[in-house]
Amino acid sequence: MTGSTRARSWVEHLRSGGTTPWAAWSGSGTDDDVPGRVGAYDAPTRQGFLPGAQQLELLRRVNLAAGSGGSTDGVRRAGLAGLAERVLAASAPGRGAPDLELVGVREDSPFGPRPVDPAELTAGELMRVASSLLAEDLVAEAAAAPAPRPRALRRPWARPYRLVGDPWVADALRPQLVAAGRPPGGPDPLVLVLGADLPTMLAHGFTARSFDEGGPPWEEWLGRPVTDRALPPRADLPTMLGEWPVAGTSGVRLVLDPALVPGLVGRRRPLDPAPRLSAAAVDLARWVGVPLGLLVLPDERARLLRHTYLPRVRDHAGAPLGLPESHREWARERAARVRDQVTTAGYPVDGDPARLTGTGPDGTTPDDAEVLALAIALLLGQDTGHQGRSTR
Amino acid sequence: MTTEPTTEPTTPPARAPRRVILHVGTPKSGTSYVQDVLFRNRETLAAADIHYPVDRFDAHFLAALDLMRLPWGGLEREAIGAWDRLARTVRGLSGTTILSHEILATASRSQVGRALASLGHGTPGGPEVHVVLSARDLTRQVPAEWQENVKHRRSFTYASFLRQVQDPERSTRVASWFWGVQELPDILERWGAALPPEQVHVVTVPPSGGDPGELWRRFSGVLGLDGIDLDLTTDRSNPSLGAPETTLVRRLNRATNRDLPPADYRPLVRELLAHQTLSQRRESPRLGLPPEVQTWVAGLEDAYADEIARRGYDVVGDLDDLRGARVAAGRRWYDPDHPRERQVASAAVDAIKVLLLENARVGASEARLAEELAETREALERSYLRPTYQLREKIVRRLEAGRPGRVAMRVYRVARGRA
Repeated sequence: MTGSTRARSWVEHLRSGGTTPWAAWSGSGTDDDVPGRVGAYDAPTRQGFLPGAQQLELLRRVNLAAGSGGSTDGVRRAGLAGLAERVLAASAPGRGAPDLELVGVREDSPFGPRPVDPAELTAGELMRVASSLLAEDLVAEAAAAPAPRPRALRRPWARPYRLVGDPWVADALRPQLVAAGRPPGGPDPLVLVLGADLPTMLAHGFTARSFDEGGPPWEEWLGRPVTDRALPPRADLPTMLGEWPVAGTSGVRLVLDPALVPGLVGRRRPLDPAPRLSAAAVDLARWVGVPLGLLVLPDERARLLRHTYLPRVRDHAGAPLGLPESHREWARERAARVRDQVTTAGYPVDGDPARLTGTGPDGTTPDDAEVLALAIALLLGQDTGHQGRSTR
Repeated sequence: MTTEPTTEPTTPPARAPRRVILHVGTPKSGTSYVQDVLFRNRETLAAADIHYPVDRFDAHFLAALDLMRLPWGGLEREAIGAWDRLARTVRGLSGTTILSHEILATASRSQVGRALASLGHGTPGGPEVHVVLSARDLTRQVPAEWQENVKHRRSFTYASFLRQVQDPERSTRVASWFWGVQELPDILERWGAALPPEQVHVVTVPPSGGDPGELWRRFSGVLGLDGIDLDLTTDRSNPSLGAPETTLVRRLNRATNRDLPPADYRPLVRELLAHQTLSQRRESPRLGLPPEVQTWVAGLEDAYADEIARRGYDVVGDLDDLRGARVAAGRRWYDPDHPRERQVASAAVDAIKVLLLENARVGASEARLAEELAETREALERSYLRPTYQLREKIVRRLEAGRPGRVAMRVYRVARGRA
């Protein structure tokens, strides 16, 4: 059997739900090793080319995850078959490794990138394909979603205010106030600057950035823990406070407890807190934002991530984002400086000022394998609530 | 001709079989010139039932970005849906349609499959698809690609670039892109796998110093443009820089990358400095290959030429063109990482001069606009001097000073539909 014939038989094996790794594939595969087998799928648009190793390995992982899900009803089988064809036809978007050949297929060809054993591909390589498919799903889901609820009329007696600071929390509370007829703005507003301990400010800043515009991975975004390095703008509390002049406002207040916000803007009912996401869910938003930005305009990308993607990962049980060990001492020192700057500036504080130097909740740095597992679960439409290494 | 998308594919006319010619690269092989000639002559061509469907010069570039889902410094936002719109237009055209962009060279097999299917390839009544790849010897392409990288804000040295492209793992983005657009047999296999070899055309770029019209004659023949009276003058090209000039731009990138936004870099550095100014310094030493790399490149060139001959593609030109000129023994190689500083300084003086002139031009324009603004303000103030306006303004100011007045004003504005 030639390498090409063996490869094509492996594609069919994967197409029908197989999970045998390429290295173990003999070319005469049986169906005994097919958990959650979905049956041969005779696609009308079957490719005339051999898909890349990234696509094939991703499909194998999808089949593994589908098998562990245990569901084999008819609708699900049809969905899996459709997903298999989408995976095989996908290409990794953006710059990076091209579609790679399987090792052992064309050993004699000196051209093209080096063939690989797909089992050796990193989770990051598979994520490039998976995130592209997820971006397509978000666009398709949004097209079928109902129109958003109209805004409530502004209460004439509502107190003018601005809600800024911690972007993740402010962006979560603001729409609730708008829906309650209390949109921000108005003459001489009271400026509420939301703050938290530095590890939380950093995690929230990275989360907001991941949902709004993407960017580098967590540790790269944090940068080296150097004493004089400026804080990222989304986590720089003293600068956020300093941006608002007292003139033209009814004052600038630092709010360290988001639960106090309703009272400060004259509302009695409490607001829902900002979602607490797992590190994997945050990082997956960053991954998906890249191909999503190639399908829709930036505002729509941010809207899709917050309103279509976020509800699907809100319950993912993985650990939240946390500082790596290498940054903890640096964060402790910087937090003390932030506290001193804020205290010296004399802003009125709502909440416990000691929170500024808190260590934040225990968390972790995103792990590519966990992010990939979450991505596959979303592609399969699985419940993500049971996934992840829960520390919550 | 119009480039408005048609609603549905139309039935092809019986008078001639439809043809789609896809020119898919490679970069730095005369593609900008060909695209500009096609763009400027698109109405003349349409009269001959040869179509170059574009609504802007870079329409095919945007479509290629969309097909391959490539981010490109924010331009990708203008590219959303561009390939499907282009394909729909092509399906509605009769005669011959030409699509051209060099970054198509890096398309994956599945992207090629999607592109061909969207153009109707393989369907009943679908067009006869031809793929054209223009190709230049690697001896010139390797330094040219480094220069392109520099003109796209990269700041790595030539030595670093060479190390990356020579690494068999091709693990960096630079190496993966380079081979994606320059490894001729691999590009031809991706684009030509579904076509008979006679529908795959390799246009070789003649060696430097020959007849300047020869490359166009090769393109003209393969694109079916012979006998059509075309305007071949062009003001759009992708001119090369000398070695000290490339070094200067690399140093500028290193110094300004953190501060200069991409939207300013393109007109100021890439266009004004690199293309319009530094490329005019034709006496500067040219970029070339270091001696230790020449043998490796020569081996690749031989392998490419032999493989293309073996596969039986239609070669337009001479496969020997793909074997670069060897540097005469004893001739000194100019290392852009260790340039003669006097030459870099001389290029920098030219750069400063053109930036000063540009600054003066912008300053003059700003002064003229300020003058126009002052005149507009004056005219506005004259209209404010009318007693009725002053009275109304006084009332509004008084009302805005207190809360009841503000509420009254809001009610008034709502009633007038100005809220």
